[in-house]
Amino acid sequence: MDFDESSATKIVTREFLAVVLAGFGNELGPLTNNHGDDPCLKALLPIANKPMLEYPLRWLEQSGITDVLLICPTSHRAAMTNYIQSDASAPFPSLSIDVQTVEESQDMAPGTSSILRQFASRIKSDFILLPCDFVPPPTLPLSQVLNKFRTEVTYDGAIATTCFFEASKHDKGTLTEDWGLPPSNNTIIFDERSGTLLYVDSPDDVDNNNQEFEFRMSLLSQYPRTKLSAKFRDSHVYVCRRTVLDVLSQKSQYESIKEEFIPWLCKPQYQRTRREKYGNILSPATNNLSQALALKHSTLHLPARKQHLRRSAAGSEADDDHPRSTMPSPVDDDDEDAGEPSLRVGLVAHRASSGFASRANNLHTYLELNRFFLGQASYALPTDPERRAFIDQKAQISSDSMIGHSTRVEERASIKRSVIGAHCVIGKMAKVVGCVLLDHCVVADGAKLDGCILGAYTKVGGKAELSRCVTQPGYEVAPGETARNEKLETSDWTAQDTSEDQDTDESSEEASDDSSESSE
Amino acid sequence: MPPKSSSGKDKDLAEEDEVLQAVILADSFNKRFKPLTVGKPRCLLPICNATLLDWTFESLALAGVQEIFVICRSYADQVKAAIRDSKWSKPSSGLKIVPIVTAKETFSPGDAMRDIYTHGIITSDFVLVTGDLVSNVRIDEVVRAHKERRRTNKDAIMTMVVKEAGAAHRTRSRGESGVFVLDPDTSECLHYEPTIGYPATPSIKIPREILEEHPEVEIRNDLIDCSIDVCSVEVPSLFQDNFDYGDIRRDFVYGVLTSDLLMKNIYCYVAKDGYAARVADTRSYDAVSKDILARWTFPLVPDDNHPGGHSYEHLRGNKYIAKDNSVVLSRTCKVGNNTLIGAHTTIEANASVQSSVVGQRCTIGPGAVLRDAYIFDDTHVGAGCVVEGSIVGTHVRLGSGCRVPRGCLIADGVVIGEGAKLRKFERVSKKREAQEDEDEDADDEDEEEEDSDLEEVEAHQEGVEQIVGKGSNALVWPQGLPDEEEEVEERESHNNQRLMRIGDDASDLELSDEGSTTDDDFSDTDTSYSMRSRASSMTSASGPSFSLNLDPSTSASAIHSLSSAAAETEFRSEVAQSLERAFAEGHSVENAAVELKTLRMASNVPLRRVREAVVGAIVDRVPLVPDDPAAQRAEIARFVRRWGQLIDKIGGVDAVETVEALQYHCAGAGAGARQPLFAQVLAALYQQDLVEEEDIRAWHRSAAARGQGLKPGSPLAEGVKRCWAVGAKMIEQFDAESEEESEEEESDEEAPKAKAPAAVSAPSSAKAAAEEDSESEEDSDEDSDDDSEESAPAKPAPAPAPAAAPAAAKPATQPPKAPAQAADSESEEETESEEASDEDASPAAKTASAAAPAASHPAPAKTSTPAPSTHAKAAEGPGGSSDESEEDSEDSAANA
Repeated sequence: MDFDESSATKIVTREFLAVVLAGFGNELGPLTNNHGDDPCLKALLPIANKPMLEYPLRWLEQSGITDVLLICPTSHRAAMTNYIQSDASAPFPSLSIDVQTVEESQDMAPGTSSILRQFASRIKSDFILLPCDFVPPPTLPLSQVLNKFRTEVTYDGAIATTCFFEASKHDKGTLTEDWGLPPSNNTIIFDERSGTLLYVDSPDDVDNNNQEFEFRMSLLSQYPRTKLSAKFRDSHVYVCRRTVLDVLSQKSQYESIKEEFIPWLCKPQYQRTRREKYGNILSPATNNLSQALALKHSTLHLPARKQHLRRSAAGSEADDDHPRSTMPSPVDDDDEDAGEPSLRVGLVAHRASSGFASRANNLHTYLELNRFFLGQASYALPTDPERRAFIDQKAQISSDSMIGHSTRVEERASIKRSVIGAHCVIGKMAKVVGCVLLDHCVVADGAKLDGCILGAYTKVGGKAELSRCVTQPGYEVAPGETARNEKLETSDWTAQDTSEDQDTDESSEEASDDSSESSE
Repeated sequence: MPPKSSSGKDKDLAEEDEVLQAVILADSFNKRFKPLTVGKPRCLLPICNATLLDWTFESLALAGVQEIFVICRSYADQVKAAIRDSKWSKPSSGLKIVPIVTAKETFSPGDAMRDIYTHGIITSDFVLVTGDLVSNVRIDEVVRAHKERRRTNKDAIMTMVVKEAGAAHRTRSRGESGVFVLDPDTSECLHYEPTIGYPATPSIKIPREILEEHPEVEIRNDLIDCSIDVCSVEVPSLFQDNFDYGDIRRDFVYGVLTSDLLMKNIYCYVAKDGYAARVADTRSYDAVSKDILARWTFPLVPDDNHPGGHSYEHLRGNKYIAKDNSVVLSRTCKVGNNTLIGAHTTIEANASVQSSVVGQRCTIGPGAVLRDAYIFDDTHVGAGCVVEGSIVGTHVRLGSGCRVPRGCLIADGVVIGEGAKLRKFERVSKKREAQEDEDEDADDEDEEEEDSDLEEVEAHQEGVEQIVGKGSNALVWPQGLPDEEEEVEERESHNNQRLMRIGDDASDLELSDEGSTTDDDFSDTDTSYSMRSRASSMTSASGPSFSLNLDPSTSASAIHSLSSAAAETEFRSEVAQSLERAFAEGHSVENAAVELKTLRMASNVPLRRVREAVVGAIVDRVPLVPDDPAAQRAEIARFVRRWGQLIDKIGGVDAVETVEALQYHCAGAGAGARQPLFAQVLAALYQQDLVEEEDIRAWHRSAAARGQGLKPGSPLAEGVKRCWAVGAKMIEQFDAESEEESEEEESDEEAPKAKAPAAVSAPSSAKAAAEEDSESEEDSDEDSDDDSEESAPAKPAPAPAPAAAPAAAKPATQPPKAPAQAADSESEEETESEEASDEDASPAAKTASAAAPAASHPAPAKTSTPAPSTHAKAAEGPGGSSDESEEDSEDSAANA
């Protein structure tokens, strides 16, 4: 071990910059609609009473990442910096979080690609692009993804590593159709043995041919045994070489990273013309081969080695005319042995059997995630007398519930399988079953809530009955009102808000994955 | 859908100890082993000194099959005799082998299956194999698994045995294979895509709907298809119902899996261990031989269970020498590893045998070298011969000092003279005269087929003496692209066959296996990507044959080969009908073009035929207006405007060919009413910019245009000559015109005021220009009418008219250049102006054609100085804004 060198590199360069995209979350409307003039940040919506941003940040912190570039809309800046800087809510002392903003409105959000292009100058190293809404499973540490990236980049010239997770199966009954389309899975082709992502079925492909999947034969000649799967969803966690940004800046027509750029990025690894065109940009020749050499001599790295052998056996001709060979190579023969860079896009496929993962990017998954954490937790009445005082003796709270601090639960209220935020009031005889209540909600006496998500500051009048409803922050349900399967939104705010609300209402209904994508 | 089942089938399923039947398709239905298979069926070729058929029997016996039906077609008597004489026909073998001779009309495995159905021999689940199988896979396990499945799912009609290997395994055919989409848990085959090596299959398509029921599937390109299928009784009947099923994989499996109606399931059995391979071509012959010698097929190895009943001694290094001490090995000979030497064979001094198989009763002369060679029985290899990577038949005599480099196939009974040097991949068979009619009793049609093959071969025998040496009785089969190439199915095409040829590494072929060649021309936008790559694969697929035909100098002579004539006549009538419909019902040009493309694909004719047909149809459909040249011209112009685009939309643009087709069609019409139309139609094409000046010149220069190769004095030749004269006239005018253009450049400057308005919009200015042109033309026409009449006495009026009209239309689309450049720049601008003028030219043409008849004696615009000045200035506009106009016209073309 060369301690000198490793410590020297640590000082000079950081290895990764984490880029966290926090958008509006149109798919989560009306929860993310403005409350009065204040924006309700998607990134700060709580999952199990913790802001969802905390999950990816914790994930980063655990893997030893220190630098985070957090990109959010301009209008969210104040709230976001407030959150980051406040002592209580941001327990990430080791992270240095740089909050940057992009001009975007809820209706006109620039695509993820253009956001990244905009901040390309700030990204000097390899980077991890991740959304604010990914809740990683404890069984999948980020370092696993990073390690795969590290070895593959140095060993055979991979350019990126992606992370897909197997989606849990929906129970048809629990889905509320009025909440928008349930999240759909991505269809991908991947090589399971070497963990290589080969093809992502993009919306463009569907438009071109909605009867068949169409992909190049060269994919199959390089990877003769692959899997085609519709079980996975993209976690939107991409670990990329810095050079990927150079290509991204050339591909200015791409709006979305997930739906356009990543599907494209999979192709140079097996399509020769693209490889010739972009190989130099994606993987410029370097003379840094200390790690590559070490890895090459290791016997433990079998999958990649095999793959390399197979490739060279199958395509010695293709190897010959690689663009790199035309360039004067500054390194000796050993580097020639390593062959051309594979330009692979690695894949960490996380199976559902090894832990639940999801992105909270629409109402279905948001509720699902909350319920998942409820299943993990077991509620016990607080022992602290001050906090105990908030909960009435005769209230019934099932053990699979969560109650935020300073929340008052009145006499004979019943709470089951629910997450109740902080500073809420649950009135007498109120029944809350399978709900998520954000902070500062007031549920008046005798109200019944079933499977609802209440935005912050929602007031539910006495004896109102809501079933599978979602409310905008600050919404007031009149006493005695009943509603089922609805998105309840205020339409009588000030003029400026009204227009916005209605717009988001529609857009959130119609919004495909695209809009959620672009607003992360 | 409830499985339909008959009571009989149920009984079969219930019966445990039923007889396991197998069907062997002993015919290969292709010619890959020619000329080795001249005079005997492929299944009787020996591999490791036992016939393929015996290996197949042995493989089946190993799997516990009790009853075998052998479906044979060619040389059925030989097959029957072979079965009769084999050890399997002994009562003790426990095998019942029934040869079944199918009709000569059986051309595909599908036909054979239909034959099986009509014979009604199948009573239960059966094993279907080809007659060239070498396998030690436990087929009985597959059968058991299949029956197990049938118990729960009656729709599981077939289980295919596939062997796990790599994409580049040596026994995996590079030329043809398949991609299997399997359910990883049940091995149900959900989709099958056949692929070929050259031109490489560019992309794979998998129906989206399969993911609905199977969210995760495996796509496997690493499987060797062993062609062992365990089929249920309804398989033959499915073939019977779907009479178009030919190949078992490409048609039947693909058809069943993609059918919405059949609702049948096909499963795969992925053999993890065991060996199974087909000897489907000479390349796999080599690979399988090596595999047998390397004992992958254990227990089926030469020293044990040799299917031919020989016994060999297995020595270190996988050397097998016949056991009965009849082999004579000289003290100084070298026998390398992986070698098999049959009984009574003599290997003389200093001879070297490596990785080769030598049959029985052979003599390998002193100093001979055999490397990767396969020598059949009773062959004599002379002293000092070198045989590499080749297959040599029985009773062959190689004279001393012969060289047989890799890839040669030498058929039975051939004698090669001393010191002969064969070329690589030479195929040699015995001359027919020397052939005793030993298979007299074989079927006549076999003979006929052979005869036609041999006749073709005999036609190419000049200069053979040098190759095969003196005293040889050999016929050298032609190398390279055979003449009938264009009819051949893609997978049987020469280049694809090369991938299946022994000793050919095909390194010069671009195989997109290694990184598609076809996306060279694709842009990054994914929309155009799939479309274009498909288009390019189409062109590359037919590349070799087309380029042959598009070459104008050779095309005329190579027009017809007898064999394709029938297909072509059919195609012609189809095209004629299709165009008739299009003209009558007023289809759009695009639709008509699509229809023509489909027809072309279906009957596999070269593009040239389509072009001829379209040009011919246009000429023939023009309404005739006798005795009124003016109306006739208007009629032609109208017609060509409507349909002319079709000529370029059929799949390729070749204006020279268009002119030639027009010439020949008009000439062929005899001196009748249509022949004079040549000039007018050509002029109309020129106006539509379907034909450029350069093209007319190129055509005029070509040999075909002058009618070379035609019988002088025949009506066709006369007609061709007349048309050529018309062309000559036209070119004279072009020459004159380009001179004028140099003058006009100067006059151009005198009229700058016209430039500004002209630049505003390209089409309108072009129109204006055309109008002016036509007016000025009238003036100029009168100046020089004398020339015309002497030049074309046959048709006084029409000939000059076209010449004048182009003069009008042409400059309207041509940006002014320095005089000297004008002619040169034309070719550069050709494409541009072609597009731009789609629209522009039509009004111009209209007015021009209207104007031309107005002049009583139209004549070449030889001295029309005023006219060019007007075009020139008008054309200044389009020149500046040519980009815009181009786009416009593209749009409008698309709309149209």
